[in-house]
This record gives sequence, structure tokens and C-alpha cells, in this order.
Amino acid sequence: MLETVVQAVINGLLIGGIYALVSIGVTLIFGVVKIVNFAQGEFVMIGMYISFYLASQFGIDPIVSLVVSMPTLFVIGVLIQHFLIRRVLGPNDMPQIFLTFALSLLLLNLALLLFSANYRTVHTSYSDEAFHLGGLYIPEAKLIAFVVAMGLSGALWVFLHTTDLGKAMRAAAQNRDVATLMGINPDRVFCVALGVALALAGAAGSLLMPFYSAYPFVGQVFVLMAFVAVVMGTLGNVIGALIASLLMGVAESLGIQFVGADSGLIVVFALLLLTLAFRPNGLGGGRMR
Amino acid sequence: MADISKWKVLSLAALVVVVLVLPQVVKSSFAVDIFIRILLFSFIGVAWNLMGGYAKQLSLGHAAYFGLGAYTSTIMQVDFSISPWIGMVAGGGVAMLASLPIGWLCFRLRGPYFTIATIATAQALMLIFLKFRDLAWGAEGTTIPNLGSSPLMMQFEGKAAYYYVVLGLLALGLVITWRIERSWMGYYLVAIGENEDAAEAIGVNAPRIKRDIYMISAFLTALAGTFYVQYIYFIDPATAFNFNISIEAALVSIVGGIGTLWGPVIGTVLLETTSALLQSWLGGSTGGVQLTVYALILMTVILWRPTGLMGMVSDAYQRYVSRKPARA
Amino acid sequence: MTKDRQQSVVDGGIGAKNTTSKRHSRRKFLVKAGSAIAAGAFGAVPLRGFAADPINIGALYPTTGSMAQIGVGCVAAAKLAVEMINDAGGIKSLGGAKLNLIISDVQSDTTVTRTETERLITGNRLSAIHGCFASALTLIASEVCERAKVAIITGSSSDQLNKGRTHTFTPFARASQFAKAQLQMSKLVSDQPKVAVIFENTAFGTATSNGLKELAPGEGVEIVMFEPYSAGFTDASPLINKVKASGANALFSVSYLNDLILIVRTVKQVGLNVAINGGSGGFVIPDFYKNVGQLAEGLQGVAHWNHDMDANAEKVNAEYKKRTGEFLFEYAGGLMAQTYMIADALERAASADPQKVRDALSALDVSSGFAAMAPGGKVKFGPDGKNVYGRPVGVQWQNGDLASVFPKDDARAPLMKS
Repeated sequence: MLETVVQAVINGLLIGGIYALVSIGVTLIFGVVKIVNFAQGEFVMIGMYISFYLASQFGIDPIVSLVVSMPTLFVIGVLIQHFLIRRVLGPNDMPQIFLTFALSLLLLNLALLLFSANYRTVHTSYSDEAFHLGGLYIPEAKLIAFVVAMGLSGALWVFLHTTDLGKAMRAAAQNRDVATLMGINPDRVFCVALGVALALAGAAGSLLMPFYSAYPFVGQVFVLMAFVAVVMGTLGNVIGALIASLLMGVAESLGIQFVGADSGLIVVFALLLLTLAFRPNGLGGGRMR
Repeated sequence: MADISKWKVLSLAALVVVVLVLPQVVKSSFAVDIFIRILLFSFIGVAWNLMGGYAKQLSLGHAAYFGLGAYTSTIMQVDFSISPWIGMVAGGGVAMLASLPIGWLCFRLRGPYFTIATIATAQALMLIFLKFRDLAWGAEGTTIPNLGSSPLMMQFEGKAAYYYVVLGLLALGLVITWRIERSWMGYYLVAIGENEDAAEAIGVNAPRIKRDIYMISAFLTALAGTFYVQYIYFIDPATAFNFNISIEAALVSIVGGIGTLWGPVIGTVLLETTSALLQSWLGGSTGGVQLTVYALILMTVILWRPTGLMGMVSDAYQRYVSRKPARA
Repeated sequence: MTKDRQQSVVDGGIGAKNTTSKRHSRRKFLVKAGSAIAAGAFGAVPLRGFAADPINIGALYPTTGSMAQIGVGCVAAAKLAVEMINDAGGIKSLGGAKLNLIISDVQSDTTVTRTETERLITGNRLSAIHGCFASALTLIASEVCERAKVAIITGSSSDQLNKGRTHTFTPFARASQFAKAQLQMSKLVSDQPKVAVIFENTAFGTATSNGLKELAPGEGVEIVMFEPYSAGFTDASPLINKVKASGANALFSVSYLNDLILIVRTVKQVGLNVAINGGSGGFVIPDFYKNVGQLAEGLQGVAHWNHDMDANAEKVNAEYKKRTGEFLFEYAGGLMAQTYMIADALERAASADPQKVRDALSALDVSSGFAAMAPGGKVKFGPDGKNVYGRPVGVQWQNGDLASVFPKDDARAPLMKS
């Protein structure tokens, strides 16, 4: 019994790492640019397809292909901010929401058009293997993904707290007007925010490739969990998103194990609504960290 | 200005005539289906607009009430043989009741938290209906019994009758909106929408107003849900609580002009017509083409006119009118 | 300044009376004009199918959305069948009239299915329809067809399709029959089968799994776990963890493709020794093997049609392979047989009238030819639209292809022991 619980927790943590990469991107964008990016899942999908094509055409391992997917998505992020999002920034948040929603629809169907609906899978040497410790098992591919995800999150934190650009981003997140007065160029900061967030999404995609199949709608599956984590961890709070993601992963896993196989999401939503009932701004306390 | 008022009355009369006569004149059942969809989503948009347009409470979870309305009337019909007309009103009642706890939870939140919480409640309802099969058939859903032509049970031969029913619903929604617009509630809603804190500072009881308008909005949305089931003969949680309904409710208002009486209608006419045309022209070709084009159109509209197309229309009209010489 | 104020105040606000009325009439004109244009566009669209010669057959499949790959394969098969029939001379009793296939994408969505079925029927003079793969979608299409009095023939397995209908025909095995076959197959690999049943919680999964639960005791099979799950999960580990804890030695998964891929791979990761029976649906399509690879070898499933059933089936398989590069899978092959059944009905009805075609279909009784491509080789409809000879065939993945292995009469290859 204990073994089952421990295994469930391990499973939850591992997938939570992926949720974290996606949710940190969303929360970063919200914290700095103050918009909700409904299309984040589609960027994960793009990352997956990039890794898939590199793997199937050139035999490059998906983890290695991070060095391609992340910069590519960074550039895409900058372009999207500069040409699309910048035009709808303003006091009214409705156009922004629908812009990202329309973008999501566009990317989904473009992918369908270009890549067809077929599932694409990559098999690596570690894809279907696992480490066995006593009765427990830890899938290799997921462990690697988790470690890299944590590493990237840590790197982001360092970036935000030690580099000038990172501090500028945090400043803009806390108070855009004052930051502008201090000489920070908001548009440049927003571009970097979008770029970094999408790069993280792309990383999630590449890390997923060894154990998850790519198809146009794959992003939708992950984005829901990511959003719940973002809200729970307080919008804009990177550490909050990380911790909430891991928590969500574990909650989902335990929910499936002990409540019912179709109840993972219910447990997660219940947790979300409970959190909001008592902490309307999420657990993080409201500030971007 | 006399000629403007006469013009207004004439256009209104002409519109009413055209709209009433349409299903008799247009023989294509497919076309009438489109009109029904336009009327239905206009109605859903109008219901949403009360809360989301005037008071700017961006809810993306209205599918919750749509689904509740749909399920209430279906359960009453299939399990208890009660007419959907009664079920429709009952569904509205259920939705109103549900909007109280949901409102309590969500209105404590602001901005995107509010929006995401509303999304979460609709999803949560869907999950509940999926899981608890004894409640209402679970994921499989159910079809409503085929009664042929049975007006008392809201089933009709031919589309025209459905058209008139949903037209009636839309008229109801428009009248309610029009009345609220002109009342003190309308002012308060706009005040809350512009700046809730300032409104409270000058004495507007924001929580109560929000609660009341949410109930009305939920009630109307639920009516639409009942109609929908009766029209497509089928219900399941994925259809009833579909996120796309929530999105469309808001989208048509935003495209057409939030916080305006006719905004949702215009937005629906444009979006649904575009969507239907694309389906006709591109529906048979490679998967993804049709929706890609639709998404591009949507993005273009949003980028070009973030405040909605109504603004553009009234601007154009303003320019036209201001050029006319004044008449004594 | 005035303009700004007017823009920020809702219609009917103080001091905006004149603007209000202008806006009202302008808007109404727009709505009126818009509707008129729409009416013109649609009312003016000419109805197709007035020319009596080609016979219109409707095909409704999800070529976009979550079931897209299967839909695309189905459409390819539908086109191939119509071509084969036309090349062989069309419908002879109607002077060699050719079949005209009219395809519509139902986008894996229930509402779209409803509107598209309607659109297909009212926009064209259809003699019959086939579709839609997923039971949830077919149920809706069937409702529309029943009310429009056009025959629909389908391979979807939901038992609901045979209840209270007069225009719905199902030549292939029903969900309950699949369940029985799966249970019997589990005894092929173990004397004391302990089965864990996991199923996706929509019409497809629920129908099949209910059958499993009811029939298991009668077949001497013990079900140690019975769990619905929400399709489209991010991770199969929690689910497989539960399977492991249940002590099962066989796993029945009633799932769509994406979940199946994850389930099979996760079972391998966990190192769980269970015999997987993947049922039908996403399990018996080439894409499954493409994504799972060697892991699929030896896995068993059930299908309502397989390309090694008889010589005709192998013939269409070869043709399909030439065009698409993949073997002809269950649903696609089944719908080709269904096209031939429609052709057979047209021949006997000697008319394209949907009511006459429906009557001819209900009197269908074939035991040879392409229309009889079914396990058992015979098709005859009972009063509820069910094929009285309908039964499923147990299949197994062998060398990247599906071989029929159960029951003995239908086995075309020996069972691979793993």
C-alpha cells in the first residue's frame, strides 16, 4: 500500500515537472506583459514537432534538440510580441484574450494542415525503460525530463534575479510605469518575456518527445493543467507556478489512484476552487518572484 | 432630425418583417439552419453581454448554465415526461440558483482570476456530469425520444417552428437588455464595468448588482441550452458544457461591440456566416484549412478593431450624419 | 471630446438620445442587410442532385479533430469503393448509373455532425449514407437520418443504434459481441484470467465495457478492476499503477489511439507482465503499430472486419495499399463492404429513391461478393437493423500486420505465443 502511494507521488512529481515548464511560461507572460496566453499549449506542440523532425530526419536525440527548439521558439515569441500582441495591449483585456485564443486556433489548424493528424512517435534507447528500486519504478525518459525541467526553472530564477535584463523584467512586472520612468524599455522587456516563455514551452515539447506522441492537439492536453497551476500559484509568480505544478501533478496522480481513474481532473479542479475560495489571489501572495 | 426618426422606424419595421418572413421565403433547410444558429448564438451573446459587456465581467464559463438548462429540461422530459417548455423555465431556475454559489466564489476574484475561475466551474460541471452516470447518463449522453411533430413537447416537423421559437428567445433577450440599459441598473452596470472601485466609492452596491445581473444572464443562457437540446436531439456533457459555447458567447459580443444592444447580434451574423461559408467552401478539403482561414479572419478583426466592429460602424455613421446639413 | 463621451456611455445614457436613435437604425439596417445577404447566398445555392443519373451517397467521417487519422483513412476507402463499383459498370438496373460520393467532415464533434448530416441530406438528393466511425457521432447522425427518412449504414458498435430505429443498419458486430469475444480470447493466454478493464468514458468505452462486466461471469473470467478514465490524459502511469496493484494478468483497454499508445508504452516501462487486449477502434489501425513499434507484436484485439477474412477482402486490401501505402483497417474495410451493400440494394430497388433503397437494404441477404465481406461471410438484416450473422473476429498483431486468430473458423493465422 505504501509502495503504491509512493509510486503515485513519484509519477505525479515527474509529470508535474512538465506542467511546470508550461505553467512557468504562462505565468511569466502574465507577470510581465499582463496578458493570458491561451496559445501556450500550441508552442509546446511546435517544440514537439521540431524535435520529431530532427529525430526522424537526422537522428538527433530529442533532449539534444533542445538547443534547436528553445532558440527557435524564443525567436517566435519575440516576433509574436512585436507584431501581434503589442497591437492589442491596452486597458481592455478582452481583445488580448481573444487574440491569443485565435492564435491558438490558427496554430492548431495550421499544424493539422501541414502535419496531418497522424501521431508521431520517437523511440529512443531510454524511451520505454525504467529504473527499478525495490518495487518502485522510475521511467528514465520522464526522470531526464524532470531533471532538465528543474534545471531550466532554476536557470530562469537565476536570470530573473541576477541579470540586469531579468531584474528589468521583474521591475516591469511590479510596476510598468515606474519601470519605464527608470529607463526600461517595456517593449524590449515584453519581447524577452514572450521569448523566454515560449522557449520554455518548446523545451517542454522536446522533453516530452521521448515518451509522448506528437499530434496537432497535444498542447491542449497539457495547457489545462498548466493554467490551473498558474492560478493556484498566483499569476505572475514563477516559484508559485512551479510548486503548484508539482502539487497538481501529485494531486492528479493520487486522485486517479484513490478516487477513481476518471477523477484526476476533478480532484485538481476541486483543489483550485478551494484555493480560490480562501486565497482569491492564489497561494503565492501576489508578487512576481 | 425628423427624417432620422422616420428612417429609424421604417428600418425597424422592415427588419421585423424580413425576419418574420424569412423562413417562409427561404426554402433551403440548410439556410434556415444557419439562421437558427445565428439567432441562437445572438441570444446567447446577448445573455452574456448583460454581464460581460456592460459590467465587463469577462466570464468564459457560461457554458455551465447552458448545460444546466439543457440537462434540466432533458432529465424532466426523459425521466418524468414533463414538457420541455416547463423544463426550459425550470432549467432557467436551476441556473439562477447555481449562479449564486458560483458567483459568490468568482466575484471575489478580479481580472484574469475571475475569468479562469469561471472556466474552471464550467469544466468542473462537465466533469461531474461525466463521472456521475446515475445523475444523467454520464459520458454517453442520451437522445430525446423521437416524437415527430409534438409542439407541446417542443418538437416540430420542419425548421420554421424552431426558427420562431429561438427568434422569440432572442426578442426576449433584447427586450430585457433594452429595459435594463435604460434603467438605473444599466447605469450601475456600466459604472461597475468602467471602474468597480470607483463605483463602490460613490455608493453603488457592486456585489448585489453583479449577483443580480449574473442571475439574469444565467437564466437566459439556460433557456438557450434547452432549445439546443430540442433542436439537435442529443445531449452529452461534452456538448452541453462545451468550452466553445462560452467562447462564442463572449466572442460575438466582442466582435460586434460589447456593452451595446445589437453588438452580439451583429457579431453573430458575421462570425456564423463566415464560419458557415467556410464550411461550405472548404469543409471537404484538407483538414484544417477551413478553421485556419477562420482563425486568420478572427485575428485580423481583433488586430484591426480591438474594440469591436460596432465602434467602426457608429464612427462611419457619425461621419455620414455630421456631413448632412442641419435641418430646422 | 463629445465623441469620446458618447463612446464610453452605453446607448440610452444621459444626453445621448440622438446618437442612440442613429445607432439603432444603423444597426438594424446592418442586421437586416446582413441577413438578406446571407439569405441570398444560401437561398440561391442550387440544390445538387437533380440530375437523375448519378446516384448520390453521403459519407460522414471525422477528417479533422481528435479522430482525424481514422477519418482520413475512411474517406480514402469510401472513394476507392465507389470507384471500384463504377468501374465495374455502376448500377446496372438503373442503366449503368454511377455512384457519386458526397463527403462531409464531422470534425470529431457532435454538433457539427448534426448540422453536417442535415446539410448533406437537404443539400443533395441522397439515396443512402454511411458513417461516422465514433459511436457518439453515429448516434446523432442516425437520429437525423431517422427523421429525414434516409437509410444510414454503419460499422459503429453501440447497441443503441439498433433500438427503436427503422432506417439504421449495422452489418457488423455489436459492442456486446465484442465484449464476449474479448473474454473468450483472454482464456487463450491463461487458464485463470484475471482481467483489469479500463475504458474511456464516452459511448464507445462505456458500451463495450458494460458488455464485458455482464458477460464475464458466464465466460468464467474474473474481473479484478473495472475503471472508466477520462480520455486524453497526460500520463498513463497512475492508471497502470492501479492495474499493477489489482494483480491482474490481463488488461482490456477500450481506448482511442492516443491513450492506447501511452498505455502500451507505460506497461512496458513499468515492466508489468500483462496480456493486453486492446479491443478495436484505435488499436486495429496501422498508426498504432507505427507509433508503438515492436511493443505491439503479439497484442490481441477484436475487430468487426479484417482484410484476411476472404479473397475479396484481400483484393480490396491490395488496392487500398497501392493507394495509401498501408493495410486496410477494420472500419475502412467495413465501410467498403457497406458501399457494396448499398449498391446491392440499389440494384434490387432499381431506384435512387431513399425510401425504396431503405426497403431494399432491409431485405438484404448476401453470402458472396464484396457486399458479403464480413466475418462469417453472410449479411442479412433483422427487423432491428442488426445483421443476424454478425460477429467479431479476434485479431493479433503479427509482423506489423493484423492477423485473424479467433474463433477457429475465422482464424487465418496461428496464434502467436509471447
